[in-house]
Amino acid sequence: MARSQKKGPHVEEKLFRKVMVAKQTSSFVPIRTWARRCMIVPEFIGQKFEVHNGRTFLPVTITEDMVGHKLGEFSPTRTYRGHGAGKKK
Amino acid sequence: MPRVVGVDIPNNKRIEYALRYIYGVGPKVAERILKEAQIEPEVKAKDLTEDEVSRIAGIIERNYQVEGPLRRIVQGNIARLRDIGCYRGLRHRRGLPVRGQRTRTNARTRKGPKKTVAGKKGVKELSRG
Repeated sequence: MARSQKKGPHVEEKLFRKVMVAKQTSSFVPIRTWARRCMIVPEFIGQKFEVHNGRTFLPVTITEDMVGHKLGEFSPTRTYRGHGAGKKK
Repeated sequence: MPRVVGVDIPNNKRIEYALRYIYGVGPKVAERILKEAQIEPEVKAKDLTEDEVSRIAGIIERNYQVEGPLRRIVQGNIARLRDIGCYRGLRHRRGLPVRGQRTRTNARTRKGPKKTVAGKKGVKELSRG
């Protein structure tokens, strides 16, 4: 079910502040975050993140098309290497 | 047989059903179109007058996305998901269900015909039954 319009998008306050600081200082150091539930807002475009997937941080660079998705959608949490007799690990 | 929006030639069914043969027109949209065109939904498609057909066509062209353009929009949306590498895009790439359905069983619409795996639990029971 979609989120109530009344609430507006969920954006993690702390993360948002960090993004604004990074933008002002035009720093290109990726921001490490666990905030997978955070909605990507237009202010994030061009910013680099490292989004936790439960084990490691995966690099995500935000493009315009990603606005409206959540950070977690770009950091898969499951490992699947396929079935079958393939001798590869 | 009447032609509405390009190649669609609905047959001798009532128009409320015939219109649904157009991609992008379902029960609700068909109902709304007929209401706006002031045509009885019970009339057979073949019994429509020229004027009524053109009225329907006009309404569809003005208010709805159907057929080719609609297909292109849908394809474009999927392509976007694939390109940005989000979870839904990954599921589209792999041909697996996108909306969190189970894949241990079922999911045959997305996965296609069964590929039986030897030794998998449940295979024996399935072949016996």
